[in-house]
Amino acid sequence: MQLTSKTKGICILLGVLAAIGVGTWIYQLVNGLGVTGMSNVNSWGTYIIMFMLFVGLSAGGLIVASSAHVFNIESFKPLALPAVICSTVCICLAGMFILIDLGGIVRIWRILTGPNFVSPLLWDMCVITCYLVINILDLVWISKGAEEKVRKLSYVALPVAILVHSVTAWIFGLQIAREWYTAIMAPIFVASALDSGLALLIVCLVALDRAGIAEFPVKLQNMLGKLLATFVAVDAFFIGCEVLTMAYPGAGQAQALAIMATGETAPFFWFEMIGGLLIPFLLLAGQKRRNSTGLVVTASLLVVFGVFCKRCWLLLTSFVEPNMYGAPGISLGTHAAQTGGRATWALTGSYMPTLPEVVIVIGVLALGGLAFTLLSQYLIKGRTQTQGAAGEAHAAKPAEANRAAV
Amino acid sequence: MTKLAIAINLHRCTGCHTCVNACKMQNNVPMGMLWNRVITENSAVSDGVEGTYPNISRTTIPLACQHCENPACQKVCPTGATYKDDMGRVEIDYDKCIGCRMCMAACPYNVRVFNWNEPDRDPGFNYGDARVPVRSKGVVEKCTLCKERTDNGQVPMCVECCPMEARVYGDLDDPNSEISKLRAKNNVRILLEDMGTKPQVFYLE
Ligand code: SF4
Ligand code: SF4
Repeated sequence: MQLTSKTKGICILLGVLAAIGVGTWIYQLVNGLGVTGMSNVNSWGTYIIMFMLFVGLSAGGLIVASSAHVFNIESFKPLALPAVICSTVCICLAGMFILIDLGGIVRIWRILTGPNFVSPLLWDMCVITCYLVINILDLVWISKGAEEKVRKLSYVALPVAILVHSVTAWIFGLQIAREWYTAIMAPIFVASALDSGLALLIVCLVALDRAGIAEFPVKLQNMLGKLLATFVAVDAFFIGCEVLTMAYPGAGQAQALAIMATGETAPFFWFEMIGGLLIPFLLLAGQKRRNSTGLVVTASLLVVFGVFCKRCWLLLTSFVEPNMYGAPGISLGTHAAQTGGRATWALTGSYMPTLPEVVIVIGVLALGGLAFTLLSQYLIKGRTQTQGAAGEAHAAKPAEANRAAV
Repeated sequence: MTKLAIAINLHRCTGCHTCVNACKMQNNVPMGMLWNRVITENSAVSDGVEGTYPNISRTTIPLACQHCENPACQKVCPTGATYKDDMGRVEIDYDKCIGCRMCMAACPYNVRVFNWNEPDRDPGFNYGDARVPVRSKGVVEKCTLCKERTDNGQVPMCVECCPMEARVYGDLDDPNSEISKLRAKNNVRILLEDMGTKPQVFYLE
């Protein structure tokens, strides 16, 4: 099939960005993770933030697609294909971020030869693989119109989707050494996966509608907007519970709360509270406002960016104050630290992504954009055309899911 | 069973940093990082004080891997690169480390260091004990309780070199060892005891 010249242009641009990203990743492989802003005191950074974000973003798609079948929501069925494309691309990006973050990727096969089943990271790698397989099966079956198989798969997909977010949360939530150690971590991850994932899906659906690939009726937009408002409220509730629990005793985690509310990670925290939860909720709460595509897209983008900010404060706050505090502090092990002197040390944690880190992230995002564009061109638009060509005999047969193409 | 450990007498420690350098030399620790460091507790300057004048105190704490009985770092390691050996030490198999840094997030004591770059050594060559394996970039490292020495009946280098004899090394599973007797006293301080990691290294105050 043919791509329009505009689509071609976008694809070339994304392709170039992705290639620059790959080049920078090779540069990082050669020189080590020292090219990033991470150090011994702040040992995880942007890559892990993006990993958390994309695991979450991938949720929306699969959850909408499988709820269509599990809860028999007829009107969601046409959305299943774009939703699963979105979900598949996002989970691949999440996996890529984990791999990019590894210092010794050449030894990765060691996970297969000597897995430690107690490690949450191992659990995560297992469920993410399952999740990816489910996504791909879903993609294949939906585009073939194998309605019955899709329906059965949905019953597995929904719990696995919830599990992926919980296990990702446990990578953090089970670490007693850090402020992440809280039982609400998994619910928070599921909630923000639901809201950010659905928000991204809405943006993608509007984009597909504009590109003339798949129709996104205003009625559905209104409905998804309402659902998004509900998810945002649930997310806000969980965060509220956690913040109150941190604040009330006035001890223990109050220090971490102070860092979030007024300290280093405050901009992220407050953006999320206001820009990522409050404003989108107000925008989406009105029945009329939800009919305006502009407002719904704005709210959705705010939700995604808000959840990105949440990942930032969630991850980085825990690295600020070391448990054992005292001068000269922690030896950083960075490039600057290697030159010796004061640059070796830090009393508290700080982190700023470097240019290579940002370029790699942009590259990965571009790759995702490219994959989404091409997949939706070939799977959705491509199918519309084949159907058109095949004539009535084919068009009459397809099941519900195929309506996505019409 | 053997449960090797170190006791550090905080009353004897003067914060001279000799153990820091002894460790660095013995274990070929690269520039920019240390396995063992001495911190002045709750003070923003080295050899500073805690509290406000006139109610001030100063504690210097030599800090390295605590060789926890319930090591948080070992549990989370996906490949089993970090393991508890039969001498009760927590060790790293560098050939298995994929550099995911789960262990750095899990350790409450911030004693793990990572080779962010190609390791750099000031004299331009490897130094220290030839038996110590050389680490490559992208792996985590930390105190091994001088595995290469303690395997052969020698004491760890920090214990050997401490000019104040503040450090006592021994087997906690041997009730007659000096360290077991110190452990039974009531002035024992365990760092971050509420984390439940059950450090084998302990302090006397
Ligand atoms: S001190 Fe940290 S690195 Fe050492 S055994 Fe305990 S948790 Fe692991
Ligand atoms: S960085 Fe290495 S030692 Fe640490 S958890 Fe990962 S694989 Fe294990």
